[in-house]
Amino acid sequence: MTKEIIKIQDLHKVYDQHSEKPYEALKGVSFQVDEGEFVGIMGASGSGKSTLLNILATLDRPTSGNVQIDGNDVTQFTSNEMANFRSNKLGFIFQSFNLLETLNVFENIVLPLSLQNTNHRIAQQKVRQIANKLGLENLLTNYPTQLSGGQKQRVAAARALVSDPSIIFGDEPTGALDSTNARDLLDMLQQINSQGVSILLVTHDPFSASFCKRILFIKDGKIGDELKATGKTRNEFYQEILEKLGTFEQ
Amino acid sequence: MLFKISISGIKARWRDYIVLFSGMIMASAIFYMFEAIALNKKFVTSTTVGQSAKVVFSLGSILLIIITLVYILYANNFLMSMRKHDYGLFMMLGAKSSKIGTLINLETLTVGLFSTLIGVVAGIGLTKVISNMLVTALDIPVKYFQAVYNPAIWSTLILFMILFIVAGLMNARSFTKTAALKLLNSESKTDWKQPRTKRLIGQAALGVIFLAMGYYSLDHIQQLKGLSILIGLVTIVCGTYFIFNSFFVILLERLQQSVLNKRGINSFTIAQLKFRIHDYTKILSIVSLLFSLALGAITVGIGLQNGLPETANAKSAYVIATTNPSSKMAELIAKTHGKNENNYQQKVTKKAVYYRLSEFSRQPIEYPTFVSNGNPQGNLQIKKSRLGQLGNSHSQPYQQLRTLQNVNLKTHQIKFVSDQVFSKVSGEINHLKLIRVKDLNGQSASLKAIFDLQKRELGSKVVQSMGESLILYEFVKNIFSSMEFMGVFLGIAFLAMLASCLMFKILSGIDRDKTRFEMLNKIGTSQRSLKRSIMLQIMGLFGLPAALGLINVGFGLQMFVKASLLHHAYQAFAYSSIGFLALYLVYYVITVLIYQKVVVPKAQNER
Ligand SMILES: Nc1ncnc2c1ncn2[C@@H]1O[C@H](COP(=O)(O)OP(=O)(O)OP(=O)(O)O)[C@@H](O)[C@H]1O
Ligand SMILES: [Mg+2]
Repeated sequence: MTKEIIKIQDLHKVYDQHSEKPYEALKGVSFQVDEGEFVGIMGASGSGKSTLLNILATLDRPTSGNVQIDGNDVTQFTSNEMANFRSNKLGFIFQSFNLLETLNVFENIVLPLSLQNTNHRIAQQKVRQIANKLGLENLLTNYPTQLSGGQKQRVAAARALVSDPSIIFGDEPTGALDSTNARDLLDMLQQINSQGVSILLVTHDPFSASFCKRILFIKDGKIGDELKATGKTRNEFYQEILEKLGTFEQ
Repeated sequence: MLFKISISGIKARWRDYIVLFSGMIMASAIFYMFEAIALNKKFVTSTTVGQSAKVVFSLGSILLIIITLVYILYANNFLMSMRKHDYGLFMMLGAKSSKIGTLINLETLTVGLFSTLIGVVAGIGLTKVISNMLVTALDIPVKYFQAVYNPAIWSTLILFMILFIVAGLMNARSFTKTAALKLLNSESKTDWKQPRTKRLIGQAALGVIFLAMGYYSLDHIQQLKGLSILIGLVTIVCGTYFIFNSFFVILLERLQQSVLNKRGINSFTIAQLKFRIHDYTKILSIVSLLFSLALGAITVGIGLQNGLPETANAKSAYVIATTNPSSKMAELIAKTHGKNENNYQQKVTKKAVYYRLSEFSRQPIEYPTFVSNGNPQGNLQIKKSRLGQLGNSHSQPYQQLRTLQNVNLKTHQIKFVSDQVFSKVSGEINHLKLIRVKDLNGQSASLKAIFDLQKRELGSKVVQSMGESLILYEFVKNIFSSMEFMGVFLGIAFLAMLASCLMFKILSGIDRDKTRFEMLNKIGTSQRSLKRSIMLQIMGLFGLPAALGLINVGFGLQMFVKASLLHHAYQAFAYSSIGFLALYLVYYVITVLIYQKVVVPKAQNER
C-alpha cells in the first residue's frame, strides 16, 4: 500500500466573500496524491490552479474543505505551524523565480536552512551537494542579476530542494524559460522524483505536463478529468494530452 | 544568519538607506537642538520672559514630539516598503512570524540607534553654528547657550529610542498580520477605486464649507475668544482632509477631459497624479497643515519683531532722553542715523524745573496717543503738542516731559517761561536732549550701545525708571527675540520634517512606478518626457499642499491682526513665505532628482 501525501476533500475558495461581488474560484475540489507521485494540474487561465496551489502551500486559507498533507490537516495549523511546515516539508518554485536580488546564489540557496537554524557546516555541505547536482557549482558567488533565466530557475529549484522537502510545488516553473531550459528543469524534476520526492506541478503547457505521471484537469473550479502516463512513452502521453485539451477546452 | 541577510539587504540598497538615514539624523539633530535650548534653565530664565518662556518652550517641545512621531512613522513606512518583498519571501520559505517580528524590530532599532547617535553629534555641531548665526544675523541676545548639554542628549536618545521601539512594534505587527502572499505580490497591487462623482462633489463642497467656517471663526477672534481657535482648528483640519480627498480629484478629472490630456504622456501624468492624491490624502493633509503651522510660526515670530517699534512708541515718542550727555554718549548718538533731536535748556531750583517757552514753540514736544479710527483698540499716533497744553500738568505732553527728565526731578513742578525770566532764574543751565529714531529696528545695534552706556553711567536701577522708550524697546526685544527664535526654529524644523515626510512617501512608491516607467520607455517614450512627467507629478504633490497651506496662513494671520498681536503681519508673511518656499523648493528638487535617477531607465548609449 502506498501512503498518500496529499488528500483534498471538497475544497472551496471564495474570494472577496463579504463584498458585493464574491467570486468562487474553487467549487469543491477533491483529489489525492500518493507519495512519490509526479502530478500535473492543467487548466485554462483563471481556472483556479494558482489558488489551489497557494492553499496547499499554506500561503492562503480555504473557505471550506479539508486539506491533509503528510497526515496533517494544514487548514487547522497555527501560523507558527504553517511556517514550520513550509520550511521543513515544502519546496516551492515560482514562475518569477522570486530570488533575493541582494543575496548571491549561495546565500539564496542556503536561506531555508538558515531559517531552520541548521548548523552552518552542514548547511554549506548541503548547498554544495545540491549546487553540483544542478550544475550551479561555478555560479555560487554570482548575484541573480548576473544569471540567465534558466540559471535563475535552477537556483530557485536548488533552494526548494535544499531542505529535503517531502513535496515540491511548482507554479508554472517553466513559464519564463525557453524550451531548452524548460526541458533541463523538467528532466531534473523527473530525476528528483525518481529519488522519491513527490511533485505537484501547475502548468498549462502540454510539453511540461507530459513529464508528469498523472494529470488532473481543472475547469471552472472543479477537477474535470484525469490522465495517466502508465505504460506510455513521453511522446505518446504528450499526444494524448494535446487531444484531451482539444476536447476539454471547448 | 538572518541578521546577516538583513545587513546585506541594507548594503545593497545603500542609496535608499542614505536618504532614510539622513532624514532620521536630521530629525534627531533638530530635536536635540531644540531641547538644548528648551531644557537649558539658565538660558530660558535669562531671557527676561522667565517662566512664560518655559511654558512656550515646553509647548514647542510637545509639538515637536508629535511631528517627530509622525515623521518617524513615515520614515519607517518607507523602510518597510523596501523590505516587503524580502520579508514576504522569508515567510514563504517558512520563517516564523515571531522571527520576522524580531528581525523587523532589530532592523528598525539598529537604524534608529545609529541615526540618533549621529543625529545628536550633528545636533551639537548645528547648535554651535546656528546659535552663532542667530546671534549675529538676527541680533538675538542668546546667552548661556551651551552646545553640549547632557540633559538634552539624554532626552533625545530616550525619546527616539522609545519612538523607534513603538515604530518597530507597529511595523512588526502590520507585517506579521499580512499574509506572505500579499507581501510577495505587493508591488503589483494598487488600491485605487474609482470614487463616485456625487460623493466627490459632496466632499468637495463640505471641504470648502469647513475651510470657510474655519477662516471666519479665526477672523472673529474678538467675539469668539478662545472658541475661535478651537473651531478653527477642527474645521480647518476637516476641511483640508476633504479638499484633498475630493476637490483635487475633481480638478484633475476636469483636466483629463480637456485637450491638455491628449498631448504627449500628459494622460499618464494626470492619471498618476489622480491616483496618487487619492492614495496620499492623509499625508497631503498633514503636510498642508504642518506647512500652515510652520509658516505661521515663522511669520508670527518675525511679525512680532516688526511690531516692536510700535510697542515702544506707545510708551514714549522719544527713544532716548539724556541730560547733559557725556562726550561718549554724544559720540554714540551722533552715530545713530535717521534721528530727530529736540534740545531744551533747563534750570533746576529746589521745587521747580524751568524751560524756555520759545524753545518749545520752535521744537514742539511730541507724544504718543491712541485715536480710534473705527478700531476699538485705537491706532497709535505721534502728535505734536500745542503750547497751550504745556500749562496743564495733566496733559500728555506735560506728563511725558516730566518722565523724560532726570529721574530725581519727578516731583518738581515744570515751568515754561520767557527767555528773560529764564535768564534770571539762578542755577546752571542743563541740556536735555530728546531723540526720536525713525527706524528703531534698523538702528538697534547703536541703540543697544547707548542703552548699555546709560546703564553704566546711571546704574541700571535708575535706567529702569526712566521714561524713554529705549528701556521698553530693549526689554520687549528680549522677549520677542526668544519668541522669534522659537518661531523660526520650529518653523524650519517643521518644514524640514514635513518636506521629508512627503519625500519619503513619494519615494516609497518608487518600486511600483519603476515598472510603469520601464514600460513607457519600452513603448518609445523619450527620456525627456519621462523626466518631465516626473517633475510635473511631484510638483503636483508638493505644490497642492503648499498652496492650501499658504491660504490657511493668509487667513489664519487675521487672528493675530484682529487681536492686535501683530503689526505689518502681511509684510512678515511675504518675507517668511519667500524664504519658506525657497527651502521647500530644495526638497522638491532633491525628490525629483532621486526619482528620476531611479525610475527613468538609462538609455543604452549612455553607458
Ligand atoms: N486575490 C484574489 N482576489 C479575488 N479574486 C482572485 C484572487 N486571486 C485569484 N482570483 C480569481 O480567481 C480565479 C482563479 O485564479 P487563479 O490565479 O487561481 O487562476 P490560474 O488558474 O492560476 O490562472 P493562470 O493560468 O492565468 O495563472 C480567477 O478568476 C481570478 O480572477
Ligand atoms: Mg496562476
